[in-house]
Amino acid sequence: MNLRQTISICALCAASFGAFAQAAPIGYVKTLSGDAVIVGSSGEQAADVGSAVFAGDRIRTRANGSLGLTLKDNTMMAIGPDTEISVDEFAYAPASEQLRLGARIMRGTLQFVSGIIAKLRPEAVTISTPTATIGVRGTRFLVKVAE
Amino acid sequence: MRRHARAASIALLLATLLSGCAPRSYLVLLENTDGSTGKVIVEGSDGRRQVVERAGDGVSLAASPAPVATTPETLSSDFGPAMAALPPPPTSFLLYFETAAARLTPESRNQLPRVLAQVRSRPAPDISIIGHTDTVGSNADNEALGLVRARTVLKLLEAAGVTAREITVTSHGERNLLVPTADNTDEARNRRVEVTVR
Repeated sequence: MNLRQTISICALCAASFGAFAQAAPIGYVKTLSGDAVIVGSSGEQAADVGSAVFAGDRIRTRANGSLGLTLKDNTMMAIGPDTEISVDEFAYAPASEQLRLGARIMRGTLQFVSGIIAKLRPEAVTISTPTATIGVRGTRFLVKVAE
Repeated sequence: MRRHARAASIALLLATLLSGCAPRSYLVLLENTDGSTGKVIVEGSDGRRQVVERAGDGVSLAASPAPVATTPETLSSDFGPAMAALPPPPTSFLLYFETAAARLTPESRNQLPRVLAQVRSRPAPDISIIGHTDTVGSNADNEALGLVRARTVLKLLEAAGVTAREITVTSHGERNLLVPTADNTDEARNRRVEVTVR
């Protein structure tokens, strides 16, 4: 098989599995303290250790809550109390070179530890806040967003 | 005299701005666990950019971002819960295979208890198992062989009683070599399955 055939077949796979990819979890809640909810397409549910997170879900912690999640590319996001975040775009298919992580923090505190997407394609990871956009180049940082 | 007083009060004001009042929205870069430091680029709505590349340096998340000073005290009071909520970092294992076969080398078979221990030590573990081959043979055959190897590891883990929130099994065939080689090269380090426990 030559290179061009490989690329076109992969592009076809990516296109046909696009809908499926959106329906697969992008990560799981690994740590939880206090109260938090996940707001997804099927409504709002209490978060628990092991809860699946899908692209587009909003995660909210209460005043007593904190929560840590690990995404499929090994990115870790840990959020403090009174925080709201979402991971709106997530594509992790290194074999077909589909790599993108776009997250948002609306308010609260976040510790972010980047994973494989940031290693393979540094410009593909961005986190937006109400006032600024953060371009992530393979690293660990803390963000606080006050309302 | 008056000029001195004014200079002193301006200096005091600057010191207060830099140390006393951390901005309401800001970012602080941390060192990675391996001691390296990456960088972040913060762009405000006015299009101005601030690059942060030294651990401990901070930047305001304003329409026009600017450097800010922080103290360990403000960081721990602002970020204590977010720092405590960090999950255990994912761990990866490389398991190697005999030539052209789906049989683990004896050394790699001996690694399986370590994989199991990792899975059992974690909250709500999820696992990915990715099969790889060397470049001997066709792309299509190697894609299939990589999948057979990955499934072999899955069966061994399941036989040992592994349970996880999710286990994904995929093959990269010969597309993702650990050691770059020419085509049709027998390379033991490329005949592997990577197991990542999250």
